[in-house]
Amino acid sequence: MPLPRPARALRLEFKRNAVPYVLPLLAAVFFFDTLRTADGFPPIWTLRASTITDHMLFEFSAFAGGLAAWAGSREGRRKTVDLVATTPGPAWTRRSITLAGTLCWLLLAFLAGVAALYIQTALQATWGGPPLWPVFVGAVGVTVVTVIGFTCGVLFPGRFTAPLVAIGVLVLDQTGFREALGVSASSGTYALLSPANAPPVVDAGVYHHVPPDVSIVQVMFMGGIAVALFGVLGLAPELRQLASARGLASARAALARSGGWLLRAVVVILVACGVAASWTAFALAGTAKPDPVGGWEIPALHSAASDQPVPAIQDCRSSSGFQVCVHPAFSVYLHDVAATLGPVAAEIAGLPGAPAGAKEVASVRGGQDVQSGIAANPPVFEFTAEHVGAMLGQFNGIPDPAGWAQGFQQGLLDAFLTGRPPHPGPFPILLGPAQQAVEDALLTAVGSQPLNPAVHSAGVSAAARRFAALPASARHAWLATHLTALRAGTITLAQIP
Amino acid sequence: MTAAEVLKPPAAPAAAARRIPAGIRLAWLHLRSRRVPAAVLALAVCGGLLHVALHWHWAFNSGPYAQQVPMIIEASAASVIAVTAHSAFGETERATGRWLPYLRLLAAIGLTGLAILALQLGAAGESLNGGIAVLARNVIGFTGLGLACSLVTGGLLAWTLLMGYLVFCQYALLEAWTAPWTWPVRPPADRGAWISASLIFTAGLLLFTIRGPRTRLSDDS
Repeated sequence: MPLPRPARALRLEFKRNAVPYVLPLLAAVFFFDTLRTADGFPPIWTLRASTITDHMLFEFSAFAGGLAAWAGSREGRRKTVDLVATTPGPAWTRRSITLAGTLCWLLLAFLAGVAALYIQTALQATWGGPPLWPVFVGAVGVTVVTVIGFTCGVLFPGRFTAPLVAIGVLVLDQTGFREALGVSASSGTYALLSPANAPPVVDAGVYHHVPPDVSIVQVMFMGGIAVALFGVLGLAPELRQLASARGLASARAALARSGGWLLRAVVVILVACGVAASWTAFALAGTAKPDPVGGWEIPALHSAASDQPVPAIQDCRSSSGFQVCVHPAFSVYLHDVAATLGPVAAEIAGLPGAPAGAKEVASVRGGQDVQSGIAANPPVFEFTAEHVGAMLGQFNGIPDPAGWAQGFQQGLLDAFLTGRPPHPGPFPILLGPAQQAVEDALLTAVGSQPLNPAVHSAGVSAAARRFAALPASARHAWLATHLTALRAGTITLAQIP
Repeated sequence: MTAAEVLKPPAAPAAAARRIPAGIRLAWLHLRSRRVPAAVLALAVCGGLLHVALHWHWAFNSGPYAQQVPMIIEASAASVIAVTAHSAFGETERATGRWLPYLRLLAAIGLTGLAILALQLGAAGESLNGGIAVLARNVIGFTGLGLACSLVTGGLLAWTLLMGYLVFCQYALLEAWTAPWTWPVRPPADRGAWISASLIFTAGLLLFTIRGPRTRLSDDS
């Protein structure tokens, strides 16, 4: 049975479209930019999925915009506009098939890329599942760029249209990214409409759901533009005639020829719906406000259910009485954290306020970064995937194993020697000289190097060497006696044995 | 009335009386057939876009991101040059004489110089990351790549490889790659980057001059 006419035309468009020829190049760029960037992130679904809108959309935009403009300018480029105008179907139908063919190829390539990214993540992730909203945003982003390019190609057919559209889309993407990086509640939140943004915190979506509010607004905004431009395509021949029409009478005549009333009604409805959707999304984006867990919420779209914590049982490991627990999403780090903290915990075991274990908690609370510290009852060292002591991004990979381990050890000793509890807010003032000397000595005793010995004074270094040279039992006994004064900052360097 | 009067050729119009040298006329026709006047306009637009981007701080002032937007606009100028490689006459033009390679060479070099000039004028008075040296290096490197690509894809799609390389360079920029062949992301004093960009430009220009862009009976697809 022969296929219906539109299906046959679409099949022809699939065969003659330029997108398949560019797919190898797109695949190479995808491998380097998206896949390798994602591979550098820890296997957390939300974090890995952020590369869809931050990297993948950028790559696809360049080719989608250019190739759609190339397809859209086909009739004008070949000077066949008058020739094909004699065909029985309306121009809109003909162009829709060309647009659909281009868009289908691009969306297929996009979804194949998403599948590759998600399969790679699924093989490495220890918890959670694939988020779908970044995929929707990315797919709509590819769609709107394709429609923009196609419309430009139809309205301004020429050899320069395709590369200039591709470049224009990239500049737009980068400008949006620049604005989105600096978005804050006080400076206006319209930049949230840009799909490209900075990567989220490393434990985004782990302790709390990521609310879909911003994604919904982005889909509405970009989808509205795509629908409105698709409507404009229905009037493309008339718009071109209008552009060349001389005088009001010619303009009226051009409009009078613009298809039947049904076509005009559909065009008007599409443009109106598209503009309304985009305008609504724009207005909604302006009402966004930071949510307590580090994201953005839009009151008109926000669901209280998304504020609930995500239930999960922590993965724990105990060695010589010191138990270390992390969220199952980060269980890949559990062994390293336990091996790192164990020796330091043994050095201070039994001292007043010494932690009996360590536990990972959410990195954002009340809209602020949580700093590590020792919770009072029971005494447990609480750290986050982002902050351990003065170190940032501890669960963002282990590029330097020695520095990574020292960061954890120093974070534990910072909290122990100051008696500081975990708290949201900025990182507090560093240790006093005596506290620093004791910390350096304890790190040396467990075989680690203090992180920044160059910034310490000679007095601190000398006191640290003296204290480290003592037997472990002597250090322990001195700390048991002087720990309260050391925490209060009343011990001088000279008093350290 | 005599036959001599009938056979006498009519007087030449005043405009035709001004004789334009054949070389200049040939060059002008070559440039027009490649839409070079429109390309010059497009290069001016690129310069204007760079000025606007720098003036309104669309780009970052420092750090790895500072090079992104200028790099995109430099690639756009190069893609405009690459697209002028296409001729509507296709293969038939190659049988018309021996001047075609020289015309291609001069057109490509002239447009590259114009692109650098237009972008430099666009960046005048603004803070351009890396300065004019990086701008010039990137334009010649991208142009060489585009011209080389035109041998495979034809002039009209010569921008595709440029786009791919540009997107790859965004990744190389953020990952701080130091390989010379990632010349757009290297600092102005990097000798290897200059050598790479110059080699690409020379190779692309020579191949384009000698062989010309790929031509087909129709610009299909």
